[in-house]
Amino acid sequence: MSLNTIITVLISASLTLMSSMSYAEQPDYMVVVNRPNNLHVINLATETIDRTCELPGDSAPGTVAMSPDKLTAYVLAGRFGKIWGIDVRNCDLTFSTDLSNGNIRVKSIASLAVSSDGEEVFTVHNPVRIMNDHYEVLDTQFAVYKADAGLQAKPVRTYPVPRQINIIQTADDGLVYLSGPDVYSIEPKTGKIETVIPSRTANRPGFSQPDILTVWPIGRVSDEFIRMYSIAKFDESGDPDKAEYFWGFEQVILSTGKTNVTEFAPLEDVLFTGMHRPGKPNEFYGVLTQLKRFDVNSQKVIKSIDLERTYYCINFSTDGSKLYLAGTYNDIAVYDAETLKKLGNIVLPGGDMSMSTSQVFSSPKELSNAKK
Amino acid sequence: MIKSLNPLSWKGAKAIGVASLIAFSGYVAGDSQSAVEGEDILQNRCMGCHIPEAQNPLQLSRISHQRKTPEGWLMTITRMQLVHGAVITDDERQSLVKYLADTQGLTPEESAPYRYVLERRLNHVEDTGSELKEMCARCHSEARVGLQRREQGEWEKLVHFHLGQWPSIEFSAMGRDRDWFGIALNETVPYLSEQFGLDKKVWDDWQAAEKSSLAGSWRLAGHRPGKGAFNGSMTAEETARDKYTLTLTGEYANGEKVSGKGEAILYSGYEWRANLNIGEESYKQVLAMNKSGKELNGRMFLRNQEPLGIDLQAVRADESRVLSVSPTYIESGKTVDLTIQGVNLTGNVDLGEHIKVLKTTGQTKDTIQLKVRADKVSRAEPVTVKVGEQKLEDTLTLYRSVDHVEVTPAYAVARVGGAGGSQEKVKAVFEARAYDVGDDGVAGTDDDVFIGIMPAQWELQAFDEIAIRDRDLEFAGEIDRETGVFTPGDAGPNPDRKYGTNNAGRLKVVANLNTKSKSLSAEAELLVTVQRWNNPPIR
Repeated sequence: MSLNTIITVLISASLTLMSSMSYAEQPDYMVVVNRPNNLHVINLATETIDRTCELPGDSAPGTVAMSPDKLTAYVLAGRFGKIWGIDVRNCDLTFSTDLSNGNIRVKSIASLAVSSDGEEVFTVHNPVRIMNDHYEVLDTQFAVYKADAGLQAKPVRTYPVPRQINIIQTADDGLVYLSGPDVYSIEPKTGKIETVIPSRTANRPGFSQPDILTVWPIGRVSDEFIRMYSIAKFDESGDPDKAEYFWGFEQVILSTGKTNVTEFAPLEDVLFTGMHRPGKPNEFYGVLTQLKRFDVNSQKVIKSIDLERTYYCINFSTDGSKLYLAGTYNDIAVYDAETLKKLGNIVLPGGDMSMSTSQVFSSPKELSNAKK
Repeated sequence: MIKSLNPLSWKGAKAIGVASLIAFSGYVAGDSQSAVEGEDILQNRCMGCHIPEAQNPLQLSRISHQRKTPEGWLMTITRMQLVHGAVITDDERQSLVKYLADTQGLTPEESAPYRYVLERRLNHVEDTGSELKEMCARCHSEARVGLQRREQGEWEKLVHFHLGQWPSIEFSAMGRDRDWFGIALNETVPYLSEQFGLDKKVWDDWQAAEKSSLAGSWRLAGHRPGKGAFNGSMTAEETARDKYTLTLTGEYANGEKVSGKGEAILYSGYEWRANLNIGEESYKQVLAMNKSGKELNGRMFLRNQEPLGIDLQAVRADESRVLSVSPTYIESGKTVDLTIQGVNLTGNVDLGEHIKVLKTTGQTKDTIQLKVRADKVSRAEPVTVKVGEQKLEDTLTLYRSVDHVEVTPAYAVARVGGAGGSQEKVKAVFEARAYDVGDDGVAGTDDDVFIGIMPAQWELQAFDEIAIRDRDLEFAGEIDRETGVFTPGDAGPNPDRKYGTNNAGRLKVVANLNTKSKSLSAEAELLVTVQRWNNPPIR
């Protein structure tokens, strides 16, 4: 290693350290959406709502993706047909697009991500051409919008992608991961698509087809693109009654592109979302009516508690010490990640969060210092 | 004065102001005028989007390539209003449903396998073939598909419509783990075209067949779970072609008398739909005329509590027929009073070699009351009830003892409701069916003899450990100990429950029968679940 290289490494390491130090001084924030049209900006250090922004329409599904600078919350809403960009410092609407165009109605099933440089917004179009007396389902597309396109944004590029894409997430290197029949990566400048995790096409001998439900692009705080699957493992008879059922996850590490597919626990309860504890690759947590903590290596449930009600969407504080359970109704439950002891609730004005995705991030000073 | 209601209306239609529709207003009598009116409505209300393909009669794209039940057409037109902005008055819609059901309906044979869905037998469990089970019947009944006839291109357009209108179809369970769109287009469409193709000839033959007016007097016989046997009579007066006013009187086996008035429309030459107000209650009749035109079969049920109703048979009052017998079982060696109900009952009563008629205690042309004595028998046996030339089979049973009991339905769903919400509670009703298991002593084998539906003492139990843990028994509802009618709990989250959940629950419904020799019991599964928000005429 040359001296120059060593110096460069040291400088970049110290810069990284400095930047993480400066972030560590900043409180975590959460952005989440609830009915009828609220976007809440929540200071998680004080567990208070800094501001509630009014969305220009129906909040469903309320999928949220943050810009890399954490100053713009992009929301897929308007009944799965609109994307709005909101400046979380002042609630200004900075970006808006109606996915539909003329007689082509377009829906996106929770597909929303922002480019790693913050300049582009990504979604997946599920279009149908509505003719006078019939419908024609059109091919699905990965659609790219310019983040600075304003309030009538139109896609600047589209690329064909397989059907049945739900959540998407941008990795540090700019590749976008897509959750579909398999997990794909797409190069958003060229549309080049590759299968990175075979799932439906894996055809694992002795296993059923994995069943995957996700509309929650969580995992940013744990550096992962994550989706859970349930799967049956058959014995020699192939009899479903004799099969063992498991929860597993398919994961792409956003900083490295490394993939993991692992069964992490027996299937005891239905779960809607699950993710790793930040910085703890062996600790996985899942939620619906129970909150469960798993040991991935031993495929064991470490702890399971019954919740006061159902919560759809799990998330962690950036340091992994606290759990934030959101979705369904209008309160966020806060739990200690180590003990699963309940710490409190953050009650949101307005109605149900329903299937909204909560996003947690370490706030930039521009946000935490913004005028309340 | 009875309040007139559209026999086909439902809550989705109510949303656009149909509930107060007067069934007869705006009706133009006469075949040719009615057809012209139907064509006029098609031309004025549908041709804005549907492309004319032929004249005399008017043929329109999509519409002219399908056949459906009246309920099917109503759902289609209502969807056009709700989703596609079609503008049509309530009267026009009713006329159009009638016109389309009459000119592009289903034949009696075509609707026969799926009458349960029209008759609102909500706890019917479909025996769906694998071809449609996961593709179609995971969201709605297979009947909804089987009650349509379409050309291949129309089935294909239906797939496009489904995915276009409900994009989540390919993301929900049993859609997301496969190439839903590919399977729908490449496997399901050819199957549907083969099974449920347009087949115009079958329909043309039915249209050409002789059909009779349903005006006149009818004898009614039926059975209402929770109440028992029903007998009555109904008079239908034809006020315009296929439109009738009704008067009905009847009596349940427990002596409860009912009477009421109503209105009916006949669709497709055989599909009888009526609304009746009986006492304080509003009933709907969904009946099908048989080919002879002399009999109607189906169900008459409470409009706002569909699980409660009568399995109904109507026979023309000028026929001669044995319709029912009460009680439907006689114990070995016993002397009992027996009532035979029917139409124009003449001639001697013959109850076979083991039941002797001791005395006729009463007789009218439709009712015969008897005192009879049963021989001692070792095993149950079915008894044919003969009156003159007429006979009734598979209804009366002579039995020695009850060996085995089953509860029907074996699996039922009830729904929480009320409590200020928009949906009524949906009840469930159970019956205990008694059997002699035959010489092999084993229930469920070919030599079993069904004895009859017997009174039981009803109770609820928690279904399993989870139901015990969640205290479902305390919250999910109550069953009437005598009638077997289950009433679910109130709708809405319940803070007293674990997870603050609603009053859903999983219960065992237990029937206890005390026969002279032993106590028997049987159970069914009852799932008490949440409201159903979308409740179209064909689910």
